Amino acid sequence: MAHIHLEDGSFTLVWVMVWWACALLLIGVSLYVVRSAQKRDNRRITIAAFCTAAAFAIFQISIPVFGGVHINLTPLVGILTGPAIGPLVVLIINILSAAIGHGGWGMIGANTLVNIAEVAVAYATWRLLKPCIPGLFPRAGIATIAGLLCGNVVMILIIVISGVQGVTQGTSQILAGLSLLAAVNMGVAVIEAFVTGMIVAYIGKARPDLLWGERP
Amino acid sequence: MTALPEKRGLLIFLGLLALVILISLAAYQMTGQMGIEERFSHAVGLDSGEKAGEEGGGWFGLSLEGNPIFYGIALGTLAVLCYAAYRHFSV
Repeated sequence: MAHIHLEDGSFTLVWVMVWWACALLLIGVSLYVVRSAQKRDNRRITIAAFCTAAAFAIFQISIPVFGGVHINLTPLVGILTGPAIGPLVVLIINILSAAIGHGGWGMIGANTLVNIAEVAVAYATWRLLKPCIPGLFPRAGIATIAGLLCGNVVMILIIVISGVQGVTQGTSQILAGLSLLAAVNMGVAVIEAFVTGMIVAYIGKARPDLLWGERP
Repeated sequence: MTALPEKRGLLIFLGLLALVILISLAAYQMTGQMGIEERFSHAVGLDSGEKAGEEGGGWFGLSLEGNPIFYGIALGTLAVLCYAAYRHFSV
């Protein structure tokens, strides 16, 4: 998963505000889309609540792979809740994470943007691949890999654009370091792809009506 | 006729996983054993961050980030809200 593991003060105040403003803009669009829906989808609200709880629970646990990584289930959030409700879910998860001491408050905006990218790309991949890959397990797995890869790219871009205070390295060195970090991070994408694929496949068998765009 | 797209999807997925694992292992060999915070700090050129050794703590090597008490409170609240939504909306 992609998450900016930097403390408050790593970005200048201007960049903290810029990323917060971008995140709030996207959250505003999400809220507008959700509120302007003709009919409230109670099932999707309930699924969003479950996704928030599950993603928050697992996001705080460091898995002993490659020295410590964690899963955040954002692609699953995208697949199950869609691109309108998904950003609201990841905002809540990031706020709660900062509240318990995992991540800085100033980083919530930037991390929300990273996670929104994961949600949106996973959802888009999930929907676009439907005609050529009908199987739920491989499609959800591929969507997860695509979402997490995009999240890592957005994370690198945000850090490179913002710069990190108190660092003497040049942009190219930071870019090289973060690219390696992202490549290691993608190792956990394999675990997350399996987990997401199995959850989606199970829901597809047990309650296909809960899958966005897969209703019989 | 539906078996072919199913198999094709699975093959693409497994091929993608193999590629990701190879790249990830190569990157891990280059960076070495580090905790997640330390790896991040090292990548951007900061000296701070947790030292290696996140592995092995907690249950079966799994460890919790953040305050465990606040984690329990937040998770408990979310669980109650999920139950309330599940009952209220009769999903």
